[in-house]
Amino acid sequence: MRDAYIVQSIRTPGCKQNKGLFNQTRPEELISFIMKTAVERTPNLTPDHIDDVMLGCAFPEAEQGLNLGRVAAKMAGFPDKVSGATVNRFCASGLEAIALAFMRVRMGWSDITIGGGVESMSFVPMPGNMPRPHPEYARTNPEMYVSMGITAENVAARYNISREDQDNFAADSQAKAANARDNGLFTEIIPTPAYKYVKQADGTYTKEQFMVEHDDGIRVSTAEGLGKLRPAFSAGGVVTAGNSSQTTDGAAVSIIASKEKCDALGLKPMAKLVAYTTIGCKSDEMGVGPRYAIPKVLAQAGLTIADMDIIELNEAFASQALYCIRELKLEPYMDKINIHGGAIALGHPLGCTGAKLTATCLANLKEVNGRYGIVSMCVGGGMGAAAIFERL
Amino acid sequence: MIRKVRQAAVIGSGIMGGGIAALLAGAGVKVQLLDIVPFDLKAEEKNDPTARNRLVKAGLDGALASFPSLFFNKKDAGLITIGNLEDDIETLSECDWIIEVVVENLGIKRDLFTKIEHVRKPGAIVSTNTSGIPLKDICEGFSKDFKSHFMGTHFFNPVRYMHLLELIPGADTLPEILEFIAAFGEKNLGKGIVWAKDTPNFVGNRIGIQGIGAIMKAMVEEGMTIPEVDAIFGPALGRPKTAIFKTVDLVGLDTVIHVCKNSYDLCPDDEQRAALILPEFIDKMAEKNLLGNKTQAGFYKTDLTPEWKKLRKVLNPSTMEYEDLVRPSFPCIDAAKKRTTLKEKVDCVLNGDDKGGKFAWKMAANSFQYAANRVPEIADTIIEIDNSMKWGYNFEMGPFEIWDAYGVKAAVDRMDKEGLDVPANVKQMLEKGNTCFYKLENGINYYYDFSSDAYKVVPTGKSRVSIAAAKGNNKTVMANKSASLVDIGDDVFCIEFHTKMNAINEEIMDSIGEALDYVDKNGVGLVIGNEAGGMPGAFSAGADLSFVSKLCHDKRYTDIEAFLKKGQAGIQRAKYSPFPIIAAPYGMVLGGGCEVCLGADRIVAHSELYMGLVEIGVGLLPAGGGTMNLWKKYITALPAKTAQDTDLAKFFVPAFMKIAMAAVSMSAAQARGNGFLGQADRIVFNRDNLIGEAKKEVLKMVDDGYIPPARQPLIVMGDAGQGMVDSEIFNLLNGGFMSEYDAFLAKRIAYVMSGGEVKTGSAIDEETLLKLERDAFVDFCKEEKTIARIDHMLKTGKPLRN
Repeated sequence: MRDAYIVQSIRTPGCKQNKGLFNQTRPEELISFIMKTAVERTPNLTPDHIDDVMLGCAFPEAEQGLNLGRVAAKMAGFPDKVSGATVNRFCASGLEAIALAFMRVRMGWSDITIGGGVESMSFVPMPGNMPRPHPEYARTNPEMYVSMGITAENVAARYNISREDQDNFAADSQAKAANARDNGLFTEIIPTPAYKYVKQADGTYTKEQFMVEHDDGIRVSTAEGLGKLRPAFSAGGVVTAGNSSQTTDGAAVSIIASKEKCDALGLKPMAKLVAYTTIGCKSDEMGVGPRYAIPKVLAQAGLTIADMDIIELNEAFASQALYCIRELKLEPYMDKINIHGGAIALGHPLGCTGAKLTATCLANLKEVNGRYGIVSMCVGGGMGAAAIFERL
Repeated sequence: MIRKVRQAAVIGSGIMGGGIAALLAGAGVKVQLLDIVPFDLKAEEKNDPTARNRLVKAGLDGALASFPSLFFNKKDAGLITIGNLEDDIETLSECDWIIEVVVENLGIKRDLFTKIEHVRKPGAIVSTNTSGIPLKDICEGFSKDFKSHFMGTHFFNPVRYMHLLELIPGADTLPEILEFIAAFGEKNLGKGIVWAKDTPNFVGNRIGIQGIGAIMKAMVEEGMTIPEVDAIFGPALGRPKTAIFKTVDLVGLDTVIHVCKNSYDLCPDDEQRAALILPEFIDKMAEKNLLGNKTQAGFYKTDLTPEWKKLRKVLNPSTMEYEDLVRPSFPCIDAAKKRTTLKEKVDCVLNGDDKGGKFAWKMAANSFQYAANRVPEIADTIIEIDNSMKWGYNFEMGPFEIWDAYGVKAAVDRMDKEGLDVPANVKQMLEKGNTCFYKLENGINYYYDFSSDAYKVVPTGKSRVSIAAAKGNNKTVMANKSASLVDIGDDVFCIEFHTKMNAINEEIMDSIGEALDYVDKNGVGLVIGNEAGGMPGAFSAGADLSFVSKLCHDKRYTDIEAFLKKGQAGIQRAKYSPFPIIAAPYGMVLGGGCEVCLGADRIVAHSELYMGLVEIGVGLLPAGGGTMNLWKKYITALPAKTAQDTDLAKFFVPAFMKIAMAAVSMSAAQARGNGFLGQADRIVFNRDNLIGEAKKEVLKMVDDGYIPPARQPLIVMGDAGQGMVDSEIFNLLNGGFMSEYDAFLAKRIAYVMSGGEVKTGSAIDEETLLKLERDAFVDFCKEEKTIARIDHMLKTGKPLRN
């Protein structure tokens, strides 16, 4: 197989569901803007060079339906010949899309493919607009459809993750994120246009555009303050809105090009995908996924955790992130894990997250001048996913 | 000119002002709520509108946060605009009615009315909610137009819940203004009007405060304790459970002292003035800030043990220490509890020869004297005095009614014997051979009018219908222990339940069937309604649980099935009968009571409506058509043919949740929000008008050319709904929000409401849904945990979460 490289990797800010700055901006606009910008920011690349788009989305319906992979390419102004597909692996959708894009290019089926992800949880909230669990299966196996909050409680209860540790972890995430924002360390973020419907003097409404430059969910907190929040999913539970990821709107893409195309066009390789894997686990404790996916992907790549310079471990919930850290004995590497905060502060736009963390991982590798980075997350329904990137 | 209240202003945003604003908004009136600019504004806040409106904002927020809520529906607050008296006084010029509810201070009130006089539009009504300051002092020197549109409108706290509205004419108030406000208060605001004279504390508080003062004074003299007094002056005498001292704790001792002082200062000739000097320990309590619930300690207080157990304490006035509350007992009170009617209870307590009975009689005689001596000083008739105590103090009977219940002559003889003064007007009434204050003859209520020494008709509204009066006029056409069918005129009949809490039993079901037969032959339509008393009172608190319990214990499942079948058949028959059937619910409308209403052609409900299908609390489901009919209310609210193409889950989930979570509305407006009342169902503000309005609705439907609804299959959610519910219940179960048994029940309820094993979107027969209801009910009856829930409810009155 031929070599393939990431030549661009960027994201929009992540904005809070319903209350955030993207709450009235449709997902098509977020993803088409970031796709178009990714091409524009890549020297020597034009939309004509793109073959295909793999777009991750966890709830590809309503505003995100109708094959958004193709719609977004057209809305980005790409020519008719650019095809597109929508990919769903819930919270790993964006990572899955990037992996698929890599496969296509490495197999020689495509020269340049965009892999990305989008989710507007304001427009299509969990669990989608028309969830219809199978009646008989839901009777015998309701855990297949369990709410994510309950899985986080299960992880906390089964593996003794204390409320205090979760709140401390959450406060750290917020502090790191605030620091990174204030010091301009989110180099992967592209200021993104958004709009709101604003009532005019004559009573009619008009779409008014504005720019969003930062993640809007960062909220500096103390563990004591977080300790006062009430459990969100279980009476007497330990998982709160403060130590869970935020539900968020956002989009992110990476452009993957073959070595040959890079040479021909003069594209500058940033990184490559070394390995990617997924693995299933019990659905009622889906948060443990990375604990199995990370060793599996490291074994595939013949690397160890010590080889990693950046670890982007998605913070779906503090309980599951802490569990994975403890089980994988990652405590010595805390200075490499989510160095600019994670989803507790920055948000978890489901299907976008894999693509978003890829952009963040590559930016952070550059910042620390590292070589290997790993992106991993747990996935609803009981899965883990992990990918290793090598910065070039 | 046709007068309207397009916009009203309420000035003063305290608990009363906020309550009046909430009530007006509930009645659909736009309200300007104004208060003063805070005195303590910082320099930088002087021009900040938010800071300047701080007080009024806090007042409105307080009303919104109140529990039980002063608002029927929090959305009503959208009709209220807040402002302050400096920047927004001009807004008063747009108001048709301006109500002053500021601090009880003559100077402040007069200053305010001076401002109002300048801005009010000509003809606008201005009223004061003063509870004690004479109107003549307030409006002295104002213009003629002002005075002719000025009157007293005295609401009681909490405004939404207290029925009483005292209206006080000023010396110059135009009769048309008085009539208009009386009609508006009665119909639009649902209040009971009492005409008071411009005398200190008007009617309710004048009588009420003397009663409290006299009892406190006598308590000290006779060495009674606080709990003893409360045991006597509670439900045994038709008074609220809060009796004397818990009521004062609720109202606030400072308010009671204030009202008392007002009566004392302004009524120098009151023969009972001595009772208005409260015992010494009351002053000590005020000094120590033991003002009641608002200071967490009054005559009673509740301590918490480290284990969060409540410890009830009561004040010992002689030591001023709190002691553990021990519930006292008197033979006459215990005996009264076993009696059914208040007349029997009154008889039992006031004739009791124990310490409690003697004390009760002494205070009753005192209240008789005081009330009789107040006519015509504070009101022209005895009705005003009785109504003010019933509507403003939640007594079941006013002093003259209690006197009637005891026997006027018997009381007078006993008073004579004991050397107590008998009021001259009552003596004269007896001398003329009249032995009661009230009587019902030929369906007409009469009261005794002292001024003419004759019985006069109790005034009543034109469209008002009284079941009791009709029954008194031999208009009962069928009757048994549980229900009566009454001819309420114009070929309309009313079926009245009269079991305990109006619980629905087999006899009521049979009666409904017989009523349908009778009305089919002899009438044009049927009202299902009753006039049971109580606060809030029960239209029907559900099915007769003891009957169900017995059948469960005896494992008589065939009989249960037959019982349900009969109930369902009655409700279905009513629905499709060739004449209109209107349910007229009020107060508690639970379980089977709610099902009766859901099955009616239309609902005409009182605004105070606590309506819900709460069967899951006793391990059951609505199986009198209620599960089906709630779903039907939801799905048939959609325009024709849209249901087929709709995401049914958006209707199914909320409808199902209402039953699974036993949701009970806290007002008729909320019941509408919960889907129990549809767009065609009406809300009536005054309960006294309910039966009359329901009758009107029947006649209107008949006049419009009534056609019974066609039997049509219902579109159901099918098994897709069960998949949704089963998976969501797994979350609730894991989150510890419901018990395993709740989950078991809820899943089956979802099965029934969604139509059983059927594809989503199918249209199925009503009979199929009714069978699913019955099957589930019978299966639940076989469950030990359901039986435990039923028995626990019967024993304790509270649901068991097993």
